[in-house]
Amino acid sequence: MGTLSQADEAQLKAQLQDAVVGCTERGLYHSAKWAAELLDSLPAPDDHGSDTDVDSPMSDAHPPQTPHLMPKDATEARLEAREAHKFLLAKTYFDCREYDRCAAVFLPGPLPKQAPSTPNPKSKQAGKGKAKMGTPTKASFSHHSISSLSQKSLFLALYAKYMAGEKRMNEDSEMILGPQDGGVTLNKELPGVSAVLEEWFKKLPSSGRQPQGWLEYLYGIVLAKGKNEQLAMDYLVKSVHQYTYNWGAWQELQALLNTMDELNHLVTQLPQNLMTFIFHVTTSQELYAVNDQVHNSLSQILTIFPTSAFLKTQRALLHYHNKDFDDAEQIFSDLLVSDPHRVDHLDNYSNILYVMGMRPKLAFLAQLATATDKFRPETCCVVGNYYSLKSEHEKAVMYFRRALTLDRTFLSAWTLMGHEFVEMKNTHAAIESYRRAVDVNRKDYRAWYGLGQTYEMLEMHSYALFYHQRAAALRPYDPKLCMAVGQCFGKVGKVMNGIRAYKRALVAGSYYDAGVGSSFGSGEVSGLGGGILDPDVLYQIALLYERIHNMNDCAAYMELVLAQEEGPDADEVGAEGVGGVGVTATTSKARLWLARWEYMRGMYQRAMELANELCQDGVEVEDAKALVRDIRARMERPGGEEGY
Amino acid sequence: MATPRYLTAQKISLLVLTRLYCNSSLPSSATIPVLSFILSSNLPPTASSARPRPSSTSSRHDTSFSIDAFEDVLQGHASSMPGRTLLDLFLKHMWEMNSFDALHALFDSILDLITPPSPGTLDEEASDRIYLSKTSPLGVFVRRAHLEFTRLQFDDSMKLWSSFIKYRAPTAQWTKRLAGLASSGVDVVVSEMGLRVGDNVYEVAYGHLDEQDEEGEGMSLDDLDRILEFQLERLQKFGDRVPDDMKGQLRSMVSASGMVHRPAHLVQFFDAWKAGDYTSAFDNLHRYYDYAIQTRDKNHYQYALLHMAILQAEFGCFGEAIAAINETIATARENQDMTCLSFSLSWLNHMAKAYPKEMKGAGYMNMLGSERDALTFLKAKAKEMKMYNLLSASLLNEAKFFLATGDSIPRALEHIYQSSHLNIKENINSYGSQMLLTSILYTRLGIPHLANAHCELLLDCYSHTCSLEERIRAIGRRAFIVSQTGRYDEAISTLEAVDPSMHRSLKFHQYLVLCIGILKLRRAIRTSDHPTATHLLQTLKPSPSPSNPLLDPELSFLQHEAYIEYLVSTAQFPRAFEAISSLAKALKDENADIALRVSVLIMLADLWHKVGKPERGFSVALRAASVSFRARLAVSLWCAVGCLGGILNGLGEFVGAKRLVEGVLPQALEGTDTMLIGTLYSHLADSYMGLANPNLADSALLPPVTSPSTPKVAPSPGSSSRSRAFHIAKAELYIDRARDCFKKARSLDGECEQLMKKAIIAKLRGDEKLAEEWAQNYNRVWEEGVRAREG
Repeated sequence: MGTLSQADEAQLKAQLQDAVVGCTERGLYHSAKWAAELLDSLPAPDDHGSDTDVDSPMSDAHPPQTPHLMPKDATEARLEAREAHKFLLAKTYFDCREYDRCAAVFLPGPLPKQAPSTPNPKSKQAGKGKAKMGTPTKASFSHHSISSLSQKSLFLALYAKYMAGEKRMNEDSEMILGPQDGGVTLNKELPGVSAVLEEWFKKLPSSGRQPQGWLEYLYGIVLAKGKNEQLAMDYLVKSVHQYTYNWGAWQELQALLNTMDELNHLVTQLPQNLMTFIFHVTTSQELYAVNDQVHNSLSQILTIFPTSAFLKTQRALLHYHNKDFDDAEQIFSDLLVSDPHRVDHLDNYSNILYVMGMRPKLAFLAQLATATDKFRPETCCVVGNYYSLKSEHEKAVMYFRRALTLDRTFLSAWTLMGHEFVEMKNTHAAIESYRRAVDVNRKDYRAWYGLGQTYEMLEMHSYALFYHQRAAALRPYDPKLCMAVGQCFGKVGKVMNGIRAYKRALVAGSYYDAGVGSSFGSGEVSGLGGGILDPDVLYQIALLYERIHNMNDCAAYMELVLAQEEGPDADEVGAEGVGGVGVTATTSKARLWLARWEYMRGMYQRAMELANELCQDGVEVEDAKALVRDIRARMERPGGEEGY
Repeated sequence: MATPRYLTAQKISLLVLTRLYCNSSLPSSATIPVLSFILSSNLPPTASSARPRPSSTSSRHDTSFSIDAFEDVLQGHASSMPGRTLLDLFLKHMWEMNSFDALHALFDSILDLITPPSPGTLDEEASDRIYLSKTSPLGVFVRRAHLEFTRLQFDDSMKLWSSFIKYRAPTAQWTKRLAGLASSGVDVVVSEMGLRVGDNVYEVAYGHLDEQDEEGEGMSLDDLDRILEFQLERLQKFGDRVPDDMKGQLRSMVSASGMVHRPAHLVQFFDAWKAGDYTSAFDNLHRYYDYAIQTRDKNHYQYALLHMAILQAEFGCFGEAIAAINETIATARENQDMTCLSFSLSWLNHMAKAYPKEMKGAGYMNMLGSERDALTFLKAKAKEMKMYNLLSASLLNEAKFFLATGDSIPRALEHIYQSSHLNIKENINSYGSQMLLTSILYTRLGIPHLANAHCELLLDCYSHTCSLEERIRAIGRRAFIVSQTGRYDEAISTLEAVDPSMHRSLKFHQYLVLCIGILKLRRAIRTSDHPTATHLLQTLKPSPSPSNPLLDPELSFLQHEAYIEYLVSTAQFPRAFEAISSLAKALKDENADIALRVSVLIMLADLWHKVGKPERGFSVALRAASVSFRARLAVSLWCAVGCLGGILNGLGEFVGAKRLVEGVLPQALEGTDTMLIGTLYSHLADSYMGLANPNLADSALLPPVTSPSTPKVAPSPGSSSRSRAFHIAKAELYIDRARDCFKKARSLDGECEQLMKKAIIAKLRGDEKLAEEWAQNYNRVWEEGVRAREG
């Protein structure tokens, strides 16, 4: 995209400004915040901001641009003007969190439970509202009153209804992981909102009104909640076409995407603009698809918004997914300095610090976040992570619980709480926590992996296999996940599948050239260089081959394990001279195995060499010595002459 | 900001010091100061048992000491590292805690101090470490600190961290060696991130350090408890009131903690009680026990009742008090609480003696039979329960009882000494009452300087362990002893110079005012300052109704006495007689102290003598003399004999009078009661004058054996003029002496009377000029006296 022209930039500013106002008017505070942050991160033009002008250049650019950029629909404008006072009233109620009262300003009386017409075959609102039939008179009454509302008012009213339902849903769920908190409590307002919107959209072509994108957005949310994902995606795409700068709509879209393929498919339907670009980058990040192309795109966007904290965070998260912790940490640290009161995404930062084991800094971060606001889910997560690092798991769970009480959809808290429960050997609670995390966001590979591990602990390997496969599917290039899959295959007896999975892990391991670290917790950090294969994986493969009595392959892999001690030949990797892993427990085991193997094959000389090496390394000395004795005995017997 | 429960910056610093101690980098010379410093601020307050704490004044109650305290302790000791003091080492450890995480690390590692390595692993490097026992005071401290830290919420531990930084901050400049450590600022993470004071991030994390409010700073609830406990101890043991500024501080501390604080109500209750604020004392007592019920401790109930009873009695509601104490006794019996039971009985006994009439009026029946039985019972109980406190008090009570009934003095002394022995052996703090009782004993025996010495002993040596009441009584008694020698002004000024803090309690204030009033009244009567006396009497006049219950029984008698003296000196004899007889009746009803009843008898005899009917006073005076002789009431005895002498003089029995007076005069001289001595001299002079009367010489010589001096005079009539001259000279000598004494006692009447006698003697000699001179002298002295009291 490159840098923007002067005119483009001015237009962008105006659009963002409008987005902030529009979102704020409709109670979409987070979207408004996002847009405003982006607006603020545009570089201030030097020529414009002279010393005489105290105000920022944006404020004086504002009045002429807004009207002509967003040509208003005449009908809507008329309706809005008519309802101006009522709208103000409703908005104030909304701001005071009196959602029901807000909705009642425009929609007095209960919403219809179901659209008067027969349900659209396309909408598969699973059983929603079908049990209860709304009375037709009431429905038509409300329908009439709805059509006479402006879209803005209708959106605010329905959104308020939706929010009221969400609030009640949270209240009904009671305690986190309590008896009522099964994740199945429904938002009871959804059917009503959905019915009204469905009716509205059905009548849209005939009414001659111009859609604005907001109602589509709301309908998309409602449909997504009803698991009607395809339709939801359609409406959300419509929404972003009609109103591009509503970040909430993009986020909803993001949540509906599961794979990169889906993303690539969707991108073709999207408008070609800056927002799509940002969306693409962010979604790739969410889907753990890290490659140079994404980095490049991000760099390009960053040239437009050089100080955007959001985009920088995306960059840091990309590094994080790529296990490039130092860079990620650096970016977050700089962000912290430039905006100390920002709590967003600090939970990710704390994860990074956790993995890096930087306790003092994590403590400081927790302190900082707590000083800013101790009742933000992010803050609670940071504190929980700190306690987890200190192995105070009970306290950690307490803080994750608090985070979840504050926001039940806070993904990382569910996952982290699951980890804590695993540490506390409370497998059932761990499974439930992971399950809830997965329910919130199906793209969280850590939760899947955690589920798998927990089932492994319970010795339920086929279950574990399923979850590990899910996790591996989300992060195809994470060797650890592949290893876990292979292990499970081994346990359930599908040896060949296991071998394939391990081989995949080998490929994945060599894929990351910057080094492979564990994603969480287990502390297994192997700074393997480019050409080095993980000896553990090789050893496992060898063992699996042994199980199917494929001794030749087994021995070959054992040799490979040994080869990793020295590393690849110098000519392969060039002058870098990457060293091998040296003698480890695994390689010693492989050596012992090989020695025995050679001994059994009658290759006493080689067996002798290997056994002596073992004695030199000082590992498994007893076994090695016994072997040496046996070899000597064999070699001194007449049959042993063969060896010479 | 809510007050932390237990942990404060001071406690963290102490932990650091404890760890330093355990790492045994301390030289042996520093061990004791360091340990005592740590313990002084950490020992749990002793449970309030029957045994009081051994003089606790030295122990530090200031729990919120500043970091300078560490400097004072550690500065002087060299550490094992050459050239460095312990302070350097300590500060190094303090500043090595350079991040919030380090604080956590401290608490994580602190438990290592009390978990000794298993015997097998006890190798060379661990051998010189000190491991604390889990139950040692330090071990308890460490464990408590660890527990409390674990309980903290994250943001509370953050607050703790910032308070610690603030606490530590002043030490940054103390030593140069610290410069390297301290230069990294408060937090190593901050400095690693390249932040400085003023940066945004810094302000978010540590910006509040500068602006935290001072109020309740560095206080934890635990500290607050200890402070309140200290106040309670003061209130209960010494009867102090909380000073006003302290009250303000306490209130702010308690309110800052934002919690309902039980001991605070108790402190308020005692304070209101001492302030004489009946309603709020009552209210606060109820409030305290209402909150105490929360702990479901039924034990509190009987103590609540006991407090209630004492409170009611203090404010004169004897009926309610008795009801409450009866309930207390019943509850204590039911709960098998012997301490409470014995205390209640002892208190009841005490009350019955102090306010017999009121207690009877309120329907009190002594449940232990006679007083003697009660005391025996209490003594037996105390011995049985090993309640030495009570035993000591009972012994003193018994001694008092012996004194009051005029029983043998040696037995009283024996009891006092037993009690004293107990006090020393069992370390009981009842020196005050013992000293006071001894002082009373000596006063009655007529040795005022010993009595004075005991009062001084109490004030000088035991003032910090004695209750305020005892101290005030000692001061009052000393003032009265001083006033006996005529030094009224000095007595009044000592009373007025009493520490104003004592006036904070209404009761003591009243006591002091009354003492001063009585002294002033006496002075006014002596100096014949009738207008002043009348004026003073308006407030000091004893109420005709049974004595004001708020008043001290001891003082109330003095008040009556002064009133009667006033009536006599203003020649209102009928009223004086009425007052005396009503007082005598009241005392008889009360079965009062024998000394008081003898004094009444003497007053009566004196009155008869004054109104010129000595024969009616004779038997009274004789009885007073014989009773006081039996009870060894020396002063009363001298008074009575003096009175008797006067009466005999009045009857013309000069020889007998002379012999009687001469018999007691030497002892009385030791007693230094100038007024009494003056009176005795004056009577003696009268006797000699009477003996000089030629007409009466024969009759005076009738009993030749009685007087050793008269036989010499008797044989030759020619010697009669010589003996007359001798008698007159003697009389004049004694008149002069009496005059001196009266002058010392500032008794204007007495002095003038003596001058008049001199004038008359001169006139009798025929020396008109001298007579005139004495008469003028008389006028001059009178006018001087009048001027002196007006000027």
